[in-house]
Amino acid sequence: MAAFFKNLLKNKVMLFMVLPGAIWFFFFSYLPLVGTIVAFKQYRFSRDGFWASIFNSKWVGWDNFKFLFSTSDAYTITRNTLLYNIAFIFIGLVLSVAMAVLLSELVGKTIAKIYQTGMFLPYFLSWVIVGYFAFSFLSMDRGMLNQILGWFGAEPVQWYSDPKYWPIILIFVSLWKSVGYNSVVYLASIMGIDKSLYEAAMIDGASKWQQIRNITIPMLSPIIIIMTLLAVGRIFYADFGLFYQVPRDSGTLYSVTNVIDTYVYRGLKTTGEIGMSTAAGLYQSVVGFVLVIVSNFVVRKIDKDSALF
Amino acid sequence: MSKSKKSFSFALAMLTALTLVLSACGGGSNSAESDSSSGGKDSDKPVNLIWYTIGTPQKDVDKVMAEVSKYTKEKINATVTMKMVDWGDYAQKMQVNVASGEPMDIMFTAAGGFDYVQNARKGAFMELDDLLEKYGKGIKETIDPAFLEGSKVDGHNYGIPANKELPQQEVWRFNKNLLDKYKIDTTNVRSLESIEPLLKTIKEKEPGVTPFAMDKNFVPYVPYDYVIQNLPMAVKLDTTDYKIVDILETPEMKQALTTMHKYYQAGYIAPEAATTGSTNDLMTSGNWFMDRAQTQPLADNSWSASYGYPVVSTPASDPIITNTSVQGSIMAISSNSEHPEKAMEFLNLLNTDPVLRNMVDSGIEGVHYKKVDDKHMENLPESKNYDMPSYSLGNNMLLNLNPNDPDDKWDQFKKFNASGKNSPILSFNFDSTKVATEMAAVQNVKEQFWASLMTGTVDPETYLPKAIAAFKQAGLDKVMAEAQKQLDEWRAANNK
Repeated sequence: MAAFFKNLLKNKVMLFMVLPGAIWFFFFSYLPLVGTIVAFKQYRFSRDGFWASIFNSKWVGWDNFKFLFSTSDAYTITRNTLLYNIAFIFIGLVLSVAMAVLLSELVGKTIAKIYQTGMFLPYFLSWVIVGYFAFSFLSMDRGMLNQILGWFGAEPVQWYSDPKYWPIILIFVSLWKSVGYNSVVYLASIMGIDKSLYEAAMIDGASKWQQIRNITIPMLSPIIIIMTLLAVGRIFYADFGLFYQVPRDSGTLYSVTNVIDTYVYRGLKTTGEIGMSTAAGLYQSVVGFVLVIVSNFVVRKIDKDSALF
Repeated sequence: MSKSKKSFSFALAMLTALTLVLSACGGGSNSAESDSSSGGKDSDKPVNLIWYTIGTPQKDVDKVMAEVSKYTKEKINATVTMKMVDWGDYAQKMQVNVASGEPMDIMFTAAGGFDYVQNARKGAFMELDDLLEKYGKGIKETIDPAFLEGSKVDGHNYGIPANKELPQQEVWRFNKNLLDKYKIDTTNVRSLESIEPLLKTIKEKEPGVTPFAMDKNFVPYVPYDYVIQNLPMAVKLDTTDYKIVDILETPEMKQALTTMHKYYQAGYIAPEAATTGSTNDLMTSGNWFMDRAQTQPLADNSWSASYGYPVVSTPASDPIITNTSVQGSIMAISSNSEHPEKAMEFLNLLNTDPVLRNMVDSGIEGVHYKKVDDKHMENLPESKNYDMPSYSLGNNMLLNLNPNDPDDKWDQFKKFNASGKNSPILSFNFDSTKVATEMAAVQNVKEQFWASLMTGTVDPETYLPKAIAAFKQAGLDKVMAEAQKQLDEWRAANNK
């Protein structure tokens, strides 16, 4: 106990700085954990407020989870969620790192800033707006893509009813929106790399490519691993806006656009069963948790210092 | 050691302080609640009623409610606070407000808004049978009894429906400018098939116009009433055996969808119809020829007025009284209301007292509107700060008439209401609790196939069997069996 207080005392400044964040987590992440109980209940309103509603509602065991697994949709949505997220993580990683390296190598700093801002901008757009951007390209009768196809004498394509194009469209749109933001993270850590390493390499006659491969990438690897581990933890969460707004909720595209989040939304928007949506959220978090633990374990096996914990 | 204790207790103090601040933020509503509850039943202090309703929040709501409160304080010793929640947010925000026990007394609910039947079953609303008997005499006298009967859930009233048009009737609406330009006759128009020559004419002569305007919610009319809106379970309107069928397997729907697909391929329907959220921009620009809509008496006038060009309509179905039409606008008393009696007295007054009803609807006389004669009124420029949806605020038949309305407007409504035929399943409300898992799956299948089939985007020859199979696989048969069981029990209980 004494050691504990001694430790507190020693790190009081640091601990004090962590305090606001810790409080935030307590109130907004730990306290609501109690609410997961709703996932096992048939939620009914009670006149005495939220807590009374929770405690008076009937226990239903695992019933609320059944809808996630009851049909063949379960396979489709799990596959879509996983594959899309894997694609986003890996293609996104490669592109973001590549962009960051390119930006860091640009000599004209003004030009670099302009590129950076231009790439950063889409990150701040809402999915609804991005959805309309996409629509202006893909609309059947007034879309830009069909106009261009028309110039080459091709038949207009019904983009919103043909699933085969959508995996590419979705990946493209998602990357367009996120790559700029992620590359800034990598760019920041590239800036932090000791310049003398590059100077030494240049004196030894290393080419640009060799410098990137042997200095930049290895120095970036800890942050790459952290970012990837964090992304893996959210692999069961799909970006709702991307999968709902961009395909304009078109039913014929569901085989390639339906993910866990949109499935839950569509299934429950009319019945409003809070218990079932809580169940879906709990399921996603548990799987995400397991995946983070497992992938961290793998990272630890390979390189102990790079692991998160 | 002492130093460590000091810093620890400092941290503790900070934590406590923060907790206090946080709880003070959350507690604002609590204090309001205890405040109003101290107003007791028969004490002299007026009771404050909190009223949630749907619509874009208006600037002058508080100003008007202050005026309303003066009036109601005199009449029933209660004041009113109105909280408006915007159209698109209403269902979701109310879900949260009710779930978290936000203090409220009266709230708007409807088949389409914050779902009336489901929330009544979940316990969001107070059961009103006794209150209605005791404090709602005026309501019982004024409102068409079909409304109160049709809005019963499991035999009890949970809300006061607004007195307005009772049946729903589908009509074909036409852009009259185009009708006149090509001298098109609409007297023989009624069925979906009968509009074909008209669409053809427009398609040929007006290439820039969408002949048949629709959004993704369009469903061709078939003479069935749906057990749940937009799920494929339905009962035929002239049924004798009360059998619930899969609407997609009926010959009527098959034929309608085939026709729709024909129209789609002919280019009468916009190519993006299945993903179009609204046809507002077509209506504004006037680049449409016809569409289908639900009507009420004098609807042509109000459509023409709001679009700025003449619109005419002709019937596409009989007027039918269904659950959806009866539950189109309801005011319920929240189950956590501190003053249900006062709330009921207020609802009674709102539905019987023209002064109060018009004040709530149009604002303050002389500020937001002025009387033209004893029946008609005219909006003043200030009315832009208090522009309320009339249908959601109680008895419509007490309202002042707009300048262009004929004197017998409400008599026309009464006539229209009397012309309605009851749907066989009027006031049967399916309880889907037992099949909640299947409902979620069925709902997803519906979202996948519905819009593209109904707008004719896809060929029913190949897609209809696919949709039927997908619904079956999702458990529609189980849902239908449960619904049939409940319907049979309901029939036995109601001697149908």
